[in-house]
Amino acid sequence: MNALRWWWGLVLAFALLVVMRVFLPLPFANEVVIFSIYTIGCNFLLGRVGFISFGQPAYLAVGAYAAGFYFTYFGANPYIGIVIGIVVGFIVALIVGPFFVRLRSDYFALVNLALAVIIYFLMQKVLAPITNGDNGLWYLTNLEPTPVLDLTHPSQFFIFALLVGFATWAFYKYLDDSIYGACCLGAKINEDKLTFLGYDNFRIRLTAFVIANTTTALAGALYAVYLGFVSPEITSPTRAVDPVVVTILGGVGTLYGPIVGAIAYTGMKDVLSQILVNWELMIGFLLVFIMLAGEKGIWGTLEPRLKKLFFRKAASETAGGSKARTA
Amino acid sequence: MDGRAETIRADKVTKRFGGLTAVDQVSYVLHENEVAGIIGSNGAGKTTFFNLLTGYYLPDEGTISYCGEDVTRMTPQQRVARGMMRTFQLTSTFDNLSVVDNLGLAYFRAHKKSGLMQLLFNTRKSQRNEPKIVQTMDTFDLQDVRDREVKNLSLGEKRRLEIAMAILVDPKVLLLDEPLAGLAESEIQSILGVLRKHVGHQTILIVEHKLSHVQDFLQRLTVMHEGRIIADGTAEEALRHPEVRRSYWQIDVTAESAGVATP
Ligand SMILES: Nc1ncnc2c1ncn2[C@@H]1O[C@H](COP(=O)(O)OP(=O)(O)OP(=O)(O)O)[C@@H](O)[C@H]1O
Ligand SMILES: [Mg+2]
Repeated sequence: MNALRWWWGLVLAFALLVVMRVFLPLPFANEVVIFSIYTIGCNFLLGRVGFISFGQPAYLAVGAYAAGFYFTYFGANPYIGIVIGIVVGFIVALIVGPFFVRLRSDYFALVNLALAVIIYFLMQKVLAPITNGDNGLWYLTNLEPTPVLDLTHPSQFFIFALLVGFATWAFYKYLDDSIYGACCLGAKINEDKLTFLGYDNFRIRLTAFVIANTTTALAGALYAVYLGFVSPEITSPTRAVDPVVVTILGGVGTLYGPIVGAIAYTGMKDVLSQILVNWELMIGFLLVFIMLAGEKGIWGTLEPRLKKLFFRKAASETAGGSKARTA
Repeated sequence: MDGRAETIRADKVTKRFGGLTAVDQVSYVLHENEVAGIIGSNGAGKTTFFNLLTGYYLPDEGTISYCGEDVTRMTPQQRVARGMMRTFQLTSTFDNLSVVDNLGLAYFRAHKKSGLMQLLFNTRKSQRNEPKIVQTMDTFDLQDVRDREVKNLSLGEKRRLEIAMAILVDPKVLLLDEPLAGLAESEIQSILGVLRKHVGHQTILIVEHKLSHVQDFLQRLTVMHEGRIIADGTAEEALRHPEVRRSYWQIDVTAESAGVATP
């Protein structure tokens, strides 16, 4: 019963994504799922540990280029490419993390941006002989169809991305429930107390950093497979605040905020960009409104209301469920 | 008293902030199971001294040892691991966690290991019904608010919570920085009631402004003034000390009225 209660929110959220897939175009659905995974790391850092990062594209690019290099020069199996993206993302986070997490929040935001800029120029200029500079790496046709779930096929890729997303959310939900999750929340507002209870603050922050940015690299690797190419555009400084925007849009520190934010952002981008040239202006206004209205974001505002609604329903459902079991 | 083992020994510790010497050549020994107090006017250096003992600051000069071991350069975590536990003058809790999760964090580190894997592979829920935590909530009268986020507690409840977190970990030495400041009389009595139970089998060092409240159960009183210890002994001895009369009583009216009347 407890286990059921733990899972139902997750199952419901991803069931809704499946519904979305039925009614909305496939590229939209794929984009939303990957963007959600991209954003959850940023949401975790900001909402759970109190780190704001303006350089998440750096880690996205690390995952994407790691997979991209593999597809261009070494192999063709999408699954292996994704694993490589994750591993390289993990390693990079582990290398820069010890330096970055020592910084206070505002400098942390900027040092990540600096890394994004560095990677942008590396890929665009310095490593141009192997990255093709602005043109990027194109390997769509190299990718090898895989058995069971063929990732070269967008509709099957969606199923895979959905499963990966589900696992990611289950992981972050578990993280929230763990002692470690409590440590993160503690570190967010009161590092001194945590230290004087005997916890190692540095290690807690570093772990959060590595977890979040490995997730971001995973999203990058998913992009690499899904798009079939990778170019420096992925880490362009003009896209640096996207995940922060989506995090705030969805609701900072809420579990489902990134999904809601990704749907809203991608939806607005697709719809508004057709009628408005400067659609990002609208997003800007929306953000200002959200922050002035109490910083809760879309999901942060909806969640309590839905919970109220649901708990009434859940009570009767629970009764039904336990009857069914005894029968 | 001097036959007892030494818990903390500070040897000529000094801490300067720019031109200001907040703690000046202070030597102090705290014995096992001693219940001692430090008083002193605002800015006397009490909190800074605490911060030196617990590793928040490193001293500019002098050494600090704990149970015979030199801990002068040790991190706060290393000292906590050896049984030192402190509270903060400005009540310090995790305001974004529930009362029971605050206690859970304190308890977990002290009774399990704090390795990353243990932190990741144990849930907060697993702590919530630990008998020791439940018992502590009873003792400190926190059962009614156990699931409330700490930011919604009153100052008195927060103070009780912070002391509960400190006592919960069974520290060898408990350092309390003005645990009673800003509390109503009834709340003061309830905290003192709990502390009294620990007198005689725990080493406790209390910084306090209102001497009247703690005088009767302190075995020893130290008076600080402008970064120095100016008197050390039983409460009566310390307060009778001429230098205390001169420098401390004139400045701090609450302490002066303390011996005479309790508000
Ligand atoms: N971090 C700091 N930087 C600069 N000066 C400091 C710092 N901490 C304390 N001081 C100064 O050191 C002196 C001693 O301060 P401390 O907080 O130790 O006094 P205290 O005895 O605890 O006083 P109170 O009764 O007000 O708590 C004060 O003059 C204070 O202004
Ligand atoms: Mg003080």
